[in-house]
Amino acid sequence: MSAGFSGLNTALTALHAQRRGLEVTGQNIANANTEGYTRQRMDMQAVAGTPVPAIYSTWNGAGAGVSVSDINRLRDGFLESRGRAEHANGANLAEQQNVYVRIETIFAEPSDTALQSQFADFWSGWADVANQPGNMAARTQLIERGAVVADGLRGAYAALSSQWDTQRVQINAHVVEVNTAADAVAQLNQTILTSRSAGLPQNELEDQRDLHLMKLAELIGAVGTYREDGTVDVSVGGSTLVSAGSVRHLEATGATRMVDQATDRVRLRWADNGQPTLVTGGRLAASLDALGDVLPGFAGKLDGIAERLAEVINDQHELGFGLDGTDGRPFFNGSTAATISVAVTSPQELGVAKAAGSLDGSNAEKLAELSKLVDGPDAAYRSMVVSLGVVSQTVSRRADIQARVSEGVDALRSADAGVNLDEEMTNMLTYQRAYEAASRVLNAVDGLLDTLINRTGLVGR
Amino acid sequence: MGMHIRSTQQSIAARALTGLQGNLNRMGDLQERLSNGKQITKPSDSPTGAVVSMQLRGEIRAQQQFSRNAEDGLGWLGTLDTTLTSSLDQVRRVRDLTLQGMSSGVAGSMEAREAIAVEVDQLREQLVTLANTRYLDRPVFGGTTTSSTAYDGTSSSYTGDDGAVFRTVGDGSKVRVDSGGPQVFGEDETQLFTVLDSIAANLRGEPQALGTDLDRLDTAIGTLQASLADVGARYNRVEQMRQKADDRLLALRTELSDVEDIDLPKTIMDLKLQQTAYEAALAATAKVIQPSLVDFLR
Repeated sequence: MSAGFSGLNTALTALHAQRRGLEVTGQNIANANTEGYTRQRMDMQAVAGTPVPAIYSTWNGAGAGVSVSDINRLRDGFLESRGRAEHANGANLAEQQNVYVRIETIFAEPSDTALQSQFADFWSGWADVANQPGNMAARTQLIERGAVVADGLRGAYAALSSQWDTQRVQINAHVVEVNTAADAVAQLNQTILTSRSAGLPQNELEDQRDLHLMKLAELIGAVGTYREDGTVDVSVGGSTLVSAGSVRHLEATGATRMVDQATDRVRLRWADNGQPTLVTGGRLAASLDALGDVLPGFAGKLDGIAERLAEVINDQHELGFGLDGTDGRPFFNGSTAATISVAVTSPQELGVAKAAGSLDGSNAEKLAELSKLVDGPDAAYRSMVVSLGVVSQTVSRRADIQARVSEGVDALRSADAGVNLDEEMTNMLTYQRAYEAASRVLNAVDGLLDTLINRTGLVGR
Repeated sequence: MGMHIRSTQQSIAARALTGLQGNLNRMGDLQERLSNGKQITKPSDSPTGAVVSMQLRGEIRAQQQFSRNAEDGLGWLGTLDTTLTSSLDQVRRVRDLTLQGMSSGVAGSMEAREAIAVEVDQLREQLVTLANTRYLDRPVFGGTTTSSTAYDGTSSSYTGDDGAVFRTVGDGSKVRVDSGGPQVFGEDETQLFTVLDSIAANLRGEPQALGTDLDRLDTAIGTLQASLADVGARYNRVEQMRQKADDRLLALRTELSDVEDIDLPKTIMDLKLQQTAYEAALAATAKVIQPSLVDFLR
């Protein structure tokens, strides 16, 4: 038999271990709804007897109780990195969808009031003037309708431009967020490293770091690589953002107005060496794309439409004579969406007649017929709206599908790492019962010792 | 223990929430469609549908314009028609008077011929007024003149130009809606007003020359009649084109509605189904989320 007091110690280790188990269960239950919390599990290990045989002292008893070998954080690293990749994709597509939805709102087609209808009103204005070349009301109305079309083009351009500005400001804010999150990861790396070497618990710190990593993935498609020592390296486009405790910062450079972006494209670069940052994922990639290609692309198409409108109308209008007998006057000034305006100031100046000094309306008729032009401004506008619709629909579908995929992975992650209350309740029961049983063991050993100490050697008393 | 996917209260709740949200989104979508009656509210709802809808709208505007042009053309041609009809009446009356003057002969009383001549003068004046008939302030026989009359009030010479007024009443279909004064009232010695001047003068001074006048008057009447027939034919054509434009408008509106508008019974059915599905999902979620082991432990 083992030494008399070892039984007490065995029971004591059990009491300690089971209480620790209850504490872990309590922590899990407390954080059942905490975002990013990973359930923890206590690993116990039976303490064996002395493994080394000695000459005078041998051990022939059972083991020496139980010890808590570790508090594990039950998170699947593979699922986590997949989750980050899917979230990066999702954030990228969601931002793209945002951009296109806003552009669609700018054009607001199809409707009875948007640019297409304004064009139609403009063309029928010419037809009305052709019907009544001498009618000042019809002429004035036509000039107004021309102004509405020019306003519509300028308005759409201004709206694109203001969306560009918003997006540009957002980039700066996102870059600050990236830098802050990277700082946090580096700092947590350092803390985890220290507490690990000191044997302190770091599970909650890792949870926090994972939250920051997810944020970095969503913002800029950052990829994390775990190291043996418990720290994590983060890279963006193949370049290091965080390495253990050191961090590199990003900054946004480039145009601050849409008109300047063609020559000074908005980019991200590394603050330390000024090298460009390759951003291929996350929300920032979509934002940069919107700033560099999408919004300027639509603005360019609008410019093309405005230019074509001014060109076809002016060419024909210059052939017509006004009521004052003068020809060769343009109808529109400017040839970009931002600058187009009506040049004609008085109804007398409209080039309606094919000859001076008559109330002929044939030139106005010809202008009205320009609406049918296959390569006219109307057709160009329609084709722009269709291409917008197609791209927006595709992006929107891809974003929806990606959202499903992300949700699926999130469900798996939450199922894997989340707290199941039934399980915790069961564990709680187990630990409680084991604690009770260990107390009994303590009682029993105490009883034995009592017998030994107080009741032996009393023979014949 | 067999392989199974672990579930947690959170993951069940998250999945249930996703499902419910999807349900609610679809309901919102259907409700939006029902409330605005459109199934395409932005290009991405259906890019092809959106462009068809834009094209149809453009086409509708064009047909509306054709219809308006035709209305205006009918105004011109109607004015021409009534003017020419009453002109013909007046001219026929002149012809009767001329015959009367001729039959009373040289022997007839000077006073009687003077009375006829006075009436011819009055008729001539009325005819000049008719020739200066205006539609929306434009002399209908004056071409594209900027002046307000087609014939000078005193000399009765043509003051209009040789321009023509056209209305586009269909794709590539232009119809002339005015008539040039010279084509209607003749030119040179057979110009109606010259003939009438001559008749009045000859009634007063040289009744034997009335025979020539009568021939010329008949030529003028012939021209007027031909013009009237021509105007009638053009009126019919424009009327037909307007009818065609109106028919096409109706067809286009139906097409647009087919493309853009919702199928009301179907959408209402869909919404009802969606509502039922949503309620079922809510009930199921409430049942699934509620119980846990906590409820059953003492």
